Amino acid sequence: MSHKLLREEVVASRDLLPVFPRVISEIFATLDDPESNLGVLEKLVARDPVLVARVLHLANVAASRSRRDDSIFNLYTAIALIGLAQLREEVIKSKLTGFVHGLLPAGVLPGLWQHGAATGVCAEQLALHLGLPAVPALVAGLLHDIGQVWLCRFQPAAFLSAWEEAKTRSTTIEAAERERFGVDHATIGAWLADSWGLPMQVCVAIRYHHCPDTALSVPLVPLLHVANVLSNALDLGGDYARVSALSQQCCDALGLRWDDSADLLFARIEAANRASAHFYDSPPAA
Amino acid sequence: MDDCVAAQKPGRSRLRYLPVEQLAPGMALAESLDFAERNIVRHRLPDGQVLTPEDVQQLVSSRTDLVRIVVPDARSDEEIAAAAAFVRASVEAIFAGADLGQPALAALFERVLAYRSQ
Repeated sequence: MSHKLLREEVVASRDLLPVFPRVISEIFATLDDPESNLGVLEKLVARDPVLVARVLHLANVAASRSRRDDSIFNLYTAIALIGLAQLREEVIKSKLTGFVHGLLPAGVLPGLWQHGAATGVCAEQLALHLGLPAVPALVAGLLHDIGQVWLCRFQPAAFLSAWEEAKTRSTTIEAAERERFGVDHATIGAWLADSWGLPMQVCVAIRYHHCPDTALSVPLVPLLHVANVLSNALDLGGDYARVSALSQQCCDALGLRWDDSADLLFARIEAANRASAHFYDSPPAA
Repeated sequence: MDDCVAAQKPGRSRLRYLPVEQLAPGMALAESLDFAERNIVRHRLPDGQVLTPEDVQQLVSSRTDLVRIVVPDARSDEEIAAAAAFVRASVEAIFAGADLGQPALAALFERVLAYRSQ
């Protein structure tokens, strides 16, 4: 074993990392209150030219569908048109993309973030397909491999060696990580998510996304497991899409059947992935 | 998009999901579409319906996001066979480490293969 990692060490590293975006916690705190954080989000968007451009674009697409003739250039009109749910989604994607780009060492495993982003899209679309809350699914999907990002930053040589071993030998990345660090990226990710104050269901889903059958009572657990598998099965992100396991119990818990009714879900996932591609580009190379 | 128009002509075809913004008159629906208000179906476009300009406008104005349409398939037998072989090899590579004796994995593999083969 290279270096047995302890929770205290991982959590203490927060001081060496970019600050986790506070707006994510604010969104979770007000999910059940549809109007309460609109003002906060409006101010946040107004300070971010990329988000302003994105919101205006989405509003003009929506306006063209409702046969409005005039283009929309006013941010507040645009926000009123796209609605709070889509505004939340755009803020989450933008802020977590920036946060993870700040964590990842330049040029190291750029596919890592692309896979996280694609899993976020899959989780959100799967939640919408199943009538489950989309925001926790999106956040859990985007951050499900944050433990690997942490390993990339703080244990790069040992992590890359684990990565190569998992690619070239018949072992999983989780097993290779546990051999070196005593824990795997799912556990590290859950420690970090908890330290950032994310909801317990998100932390548990990250913790069990590779071994979900022991935590099926939390609906986000099977959802994140299946979303992670789908992002690989549909080859949406990253440079090493591989499917090696899919929990039957998770599929049963979610009521998923892989018959032709799944095609619309696949199509929606691919469409959402294309629409989000501008957020999910790799961090700049070294 | 033009290759999707006049899908009602006889010949080989395939199915494709298109965002409603990309629909055009002359495209043929691959499955029926219901327009509902308060859970009551007010209007139905049947499977095989060739879209009129009014149908397209109605779809664009609705909450529908994707529509499955019939697309003429002008590929030769050889091109179709080559595309099918490529798709199968790609999907098999993704599932190379999977135990396809497990029902869930086998079902997902078959579904992804079928979806990619359309």
